Amino acid sequence: MMVRVLTLLLALSIWGLPVSAQDGGPLRIEITEGVIEPLPFAVPDFVGDGGAAAELGRQISDVIAADLTGTGLFREISPDAFISQITSFASPVQYADWKAINAQALISGAVSVDASGQLIVQFRIYDVFSGQELGQGLQLVGTQDGWRRIAHKVADQVYSRITGETPYFDSRVVFVAESGPKDVRQKRLAIMDYDGANVKYLTDSASIVLAPRFSPSGDRVLYTSYETGFPRIYVLDVANVGRQALENQQGTMSFAPRFAPNGQTVVYSLSTGGNTDLYTMDLASGANSRLTSAPSIETAPSYSPDGSQIVFESDRSGSPQLYIMPAGGGEARRISGGNGRYGTPVWSPRGDLIAFTKQSKGRFHIGVMRLDGSEERLLTASFLDEGPTWAPNGRVIMFTRETQGEQGRSSLYSVDITGRNLRQLSTQTGASDPAWSPLQK
Amino acid sequence: MMGAPLNTGQIVSGIGHIGVIGWALFGGVFTAEPLPFEVTEVTAISSEEYAALVAPQESPDAASDIVTPDAPEIDDATPDVAATPDEPPEVTQPDVTEVTEPDAIPDVPQPAPETEVTDEPPVLEPPSEDVAVLLPTPTVRPKPRPAPRVAPEPVAQPEPDTAIDDIVQEETTPSEEAETVQDETEATSPEEATTEIVTEAEELAVLAAPTASLRPQTRPQRAAQTEPTEDTTPSTDAVNDALAEALGTGGTDTTPEPTGPPLTGGEKDALRVAVEKCWNVGSLSSEALQTTVVVGVKMSEDGKPQTNSIQMLSSSGGSDAAAQQAYEAARRAIIRCGASGYDLPVEKYDRWRDIEMTFNPEKMRIK
Repeated sequence: MMVRVLTLLLALSIWGLPVSAQDGGPLRIEITEGVIEPLPFAVPDFVGDGGAAAELGRQISDVIAADLTGTGLFREISPDAFISQITSFASPVQYADWKAINAQALISGAVSVDASGQLIVQFRIYDVFSGQELGQGLQLVGTQDGWRRIAHKVADQVYSRITGETPYFDSRVVFVAESGPKDVRQKRLAIMDYDGANVKYLTDSASIVLAPRFSPSGDRVLYTSYETGFPRIYVLDVANVGRQALENQQGTMSFAPRFAPNGQTVVYSLSTGGNTDLYTMDLASGANSRLTSAPSIETAPSYSPDGSQIVFESDRSGSPQLYIMPAGGGEARRISGGNGRYGTPVWSPRGDLIAFTKQSKGRFHIGVMRLDGSEERLLTASFLDEGPTWAPNGRVIMFTRETQGEQGRSSLYSVDITGRNLRQLSTQTGASDPAWSPLQK
Repeated sequence: MMGAPLNTGQIVSGIGHIGVIGWALFGGVFTAEPLPFEVTEVTAISSEEYAALVAPQESPDAASDIVTPDAPEIDDATPDVAATPDEPPEVTQPDVTEVTEPDAIPDVPQPAPETEVTDEPPVLEPPSEDVAVLLPTPTVRPKPRPAPRVAPEPVAQPEPDTAIDDIVQEETTPSEEAETVQDETEATSPEEATTEIVTEAEELAVLAAPTASLRPQTRPQRAAQTEPTEDTTPSTDAVNDALAEALGTGGTDTTPEPTGPPLTGGEKDALRVAVEKCWNVGSLSSEALQTTVVVGVKMSEDGKPQTNSIQMLSSSGGSDAAAQQAYEAARRAIIRCGASGYDLPVEKYDRWRDIEMTFNPEKMRIK
């Protein structure tokens, strides 16, 4: 028996190699190392059939280019390099001309205005090197005023078609616009497109406002205001700017509100008698429910996307750390384990990561970790970074960065969850406390 | 009669035992005791000496690890990107596909779900000013936006630096505004800038670290994966085949019986490296980065891939959509880097007429 086995092994060792080498099938190789670089794309001005449409076509392609480039995943090829121009949306694409300038993706489009004044935008995406169209051409219709949104939607299609991520360009950000020096800083709520355009103010600067948060559908905003001298939570209707205070207990402080995914429940911090705990409130009935009852400070709650759990910040262990508990309250497990102080946790819309602020060795960081606290990754470092908020697709984080000194100014930054592509948003005033809306419908 | 063999056995046994005992006594088996005592002095070695001792021991390991020639290869990729103008010569061929284009032209399907872009601004405070100020921003086309941070996988060399420079400038400008508090601001803002770079570096380190640490994992995997691909049948079949072939009874079941020697490891590696140079996973979603796709391609004799023969044979690890994006990135790689023909030995054309490439992004993943 043993001999037989040995013979078999011997036969295998002698014949196995030549057999596999003589395999007449296809040559097989494995590619494991690649490059990571932005994908070069070209977006010629969208063709317009008239003066106004041509101008809009140019602006729309500019916005698309800016959206894609802003992700850090794409690189725009300057129109100066174009060999052929797209003069008609209907004519076939000269792939060779685009290959020659290494445009790997090409976006061509046309803009027209119909009799009723509606803006019509058609576009196609091409994979230049394989000489194929990616997906089918699409057409978007909207008002002329809404051309930026249409442009964002086109860019969203391109982005998700090529990367596979869900889109996020057609979204907005509510934030606190700041002006004046630090000691007499004026703050008012403002809303803008995700790229900083179309800023509108939602409140005046008569009282301090903090921490605006969107509802899951993006139609309402929760925020904290010192209008009465105490911090109180208000809910504001974005469309008509109407607002009303949530029912609070007299003389207590409530803050750090955030919507549950159902849009009906609000979780927030309530401070009574020097102790801060987490509560929920049903917006329809006004009924409160207490979630924590520790003598420590519990704050900054954020729901998981399915609404079943809450991540929050607590100093029950002596220093601020992050905990996760069931949405109805109950035993919490600590997830942050590193040295330093952790705060403002926010659950990713994908559900897989928690973004947070970390203070360590005199510096502030924005970071992400998994739900069990593993794979902590610090994305930024500065004098003061705080208040992360997730893009609707969970791929990008926006936060506040404040510079040091009397004249220190707050501004908004965004960073890819890989830690790359750190960018400052250009805002007219100082800006802090951003909250990213869901993707607009 | 019975006694003699027994005696012989006893004699042999006796001699054997005596021999063993004698060897044990005189051969030094029981005499080795005193030696261990001298060993204790070794503890006198200091930690530096120990490190010095250990270092040379480790170096051979490191050297053997370095065998992977991957790092230099990807440096080649970076120049490639910069050298876009080089490509014009190869442009002529694949235009054939344009012929198919006309079908695409006629109609644009009208999924009008997006129709309502009615984003009516509620009558508010003075939005006009802000809009006026903000409008110019988009009109100035961000042409060569400095931000595309080209990060070739192993060590980002030329272009990323410039991108990082730009960020550093952003970082430092605010500090100039804050010059009133001279000492502090000036001290911190450069710090801030450097920390930014450090952060990027941290990030790059994160990028690099998994790559390095993953290597050991991947190698066995590569071996594990090549085995099944090469002899897909269980080992017993392989044995049977081998025996059958040895006996001359095995039928040749593969149609294009390749002639001549197979590709050498070097030739295969050259092909692999050539494709890797164009395999850009930088624009793939995290899910697509977890998706391994096997792509089949037919090659022309001049070493160029036949574009319309490229197809996804299988995928694993992600959804269909993710597999599609992963496949498209793989297809771009094969076509782009094969545009002027891969360097493959013509005499072995039969060997590489059909190629199956497995694109496994495990090492490129950034989690």
